[in-house]
Amino acid sequence: MANGICIFAENYNGKLEPASAELVSAARLIQETTKEQISAVVVAKDCDGIIEELKNIGVEKIYAVKTDHDILFQDDAASQVLADMIRKIDPSSVLIPATPAGRSIFSRVAMKLNCGLTADCTELLVGTKEDGSYYIKQNKPSYGENVFVTIVTRDGYYPQMMTVRPGVYTIPEKSEGNAEVVYMDDIQIPESRIEIAEILPQEDSTDSILSAEIVVVGGRGTLEDDNFELVKQFADKIGAAIGGTRPMVDTETIPFDHQIGQTGLTIRPKICISLGVSGAIQHTEGIKDTKLFVAVNTDENAAIFKVADYGMVADLREVLENYLKL
Amino acid sequence: MDIAVLIKQVPVSNNVSVDPETHALIRASAEGMINPADLNAIEEAMMLKEQTGGKVVVFTMGPPDAEKALREAMAHGCDESCLITDRVVAGGDTIATARVLAEAIKKYGQFDLILGGALSADGATGQVGAMVAECLGIPHICEIQSIKYDEAAPDKIEAVKKVYGERFLVRTSLPAVLSVNFGCNVPRLATLRSTRAAKNKPLAVYTNADLNLPEDQVGIKGSPTAVIDSFEPTGGRMAEMLTGTPEELAVKLKDLIDEEKGNL
Repeated sequence: MANGICIFAENYNGKLEPASAELVSAARLIQETTKEQISAVVVAKDCDGIIEELKNIGVEKIYAVKTDHDILFQDDAASQVLADMIRKIDPSSVLIPATPAGRSIFSRVAMKLNCGLTADCTELLVGTKEDGSYYIKQNKPSYGENVFVTIVTRDGYYPQMMTVRPGVYTIPEKSEGNAEVVYMDDIQIPESRIEIAEILPQEDSTDSILSAEIVVVGGRGTLEDDNFELVKQFADKIGAAIGGTRPMVDTETIPFDHQIGQTGLTIRPKICISLGVSGAIQHTEGIKDTKLFVAVNTDENAAIFKVADYGMVADLREVLENYLKL
Repeated sequence: MDIAVLIKQVPVSNNVSVDPETHALIRASAEGMINPADLNAIEEAMMLKEQTGGKVVVFTMGPPDAEKALREAMAHGCDESCLITDRVVAGGDTIATARVLAEAIKKYGQFDLILGGALSADGATGQVGAMVAECLGIPHICEIQSIKYDEAAPDKIEAVKKVYGERFLVRTSLPAVLSVNFGCNVPRLATLRSTRAAKNKPLAVYTNADLNLPEDQVGIKGSPTAVIDSFEPTGGRMAEMLTGTPEELAVKLKDLIDEEKGNL
């Protein structure tokens, strides 16, 4: 009988990806009800550091395959190794970070195992079936702003596999931990048809929004007239990075990799000023743990006011023009 | 080089409604457009075609009405198109959908390369490309910024992949599936003339009778996952509303920001 919650320990350069560490928190919440063991699967050239990290955040059992080079770029080979590992471990659920590598490798794993793969969950809850067994309710926003759906893995398909949006759960506090480590030496590592030819020089970073402590987020309202110019000046003045919602990306006002919320980024700024954003979900799902969240919108019923700390029913243009004079 | 491009019709706006019974998108409420990243995939295909010759065939699965998206893709330069439309295959999750697309590609012919947009703007799973590759038993690379083909090495393709804040030049054998990032190129525009020409370009229509996939492998029946509920998020919280003239509000905003900045 399938048992246990298994986490994919995505890693790069010998380090555990933060999005994988966050999954331990999601697994613990499931464990409170199901009492299952939390395990992790590691495939890496240098497993030791990753295993230490996993031990210290509360993973109870670690399955590892040591490779002669890092293969997580090679989806064809990596998915074969991980599918073989999961078949042997036989967990009831597998949690995967909704990162490019997580999505792309486990799409293949799901096809190999003929199980499902629910994408980009923002909440995992435990449900109880009539026979008393547990299942995971995989909640995720869908079709845009104001709808969530609950997805389940149907009976007869195992394990329950899902990717979880980075930034939704927090990384557990570090503590001295102990875990059983199992090296699965009998797993074959296939040849890949993909190779990394070269690591290219850095481009100008557009990732500043991920690390920015202050972020200004523009919505549809900033697309009117030359409002966006004002937004830029305002962001400059307070030293903020600019993010935006989907209408801003669709109109190419901001680049795709600055889209916040659904299909975009989850950011953790200390200060967030949202301007002309009305919808709550696609936007606020992407913003977590903000110390100060101010929303400006002309519509007093805008859903954004349900999640902001402070709200102003006002024309963003008038407020910003005055702000720039201060 | 013969190239297949997978596209998806998505709602123009995020403001769409969902059927409370079936939890499916009420498509009527949403005029369809081609997923923006798929237009970048079409453009990559067109550039490769200009370099190497061959043809570009665009595929989609959807209601009969999805023909519009295919015609639009052909107005952007694709040569031929294939629509898979059948009630039996409708409503499938990513696994069931990928099986259908892979089978349609196999039936249509031999392709050297298969391209798709990285994430769809509506469902945003980013999974189907990789799953199609798995069905076809060929490599898949995601997060592609650009593609380079060298006639001197005709059985391989090179691409720039952006991940972990770095850029990598990756190489794979052909055939392969590449998922192209949104915004990696500027898609050529459809003109009046190309739009008119697209009306006469070939459009093949497949049903599951053509693909011969077992019914328990496709559509809702063949999907390992199911949507069991849809709901509006509830939030009990309400912002503290600040009032005043725009001048006063600007001052209040500045005070709040300055105070919090002091704590950073």
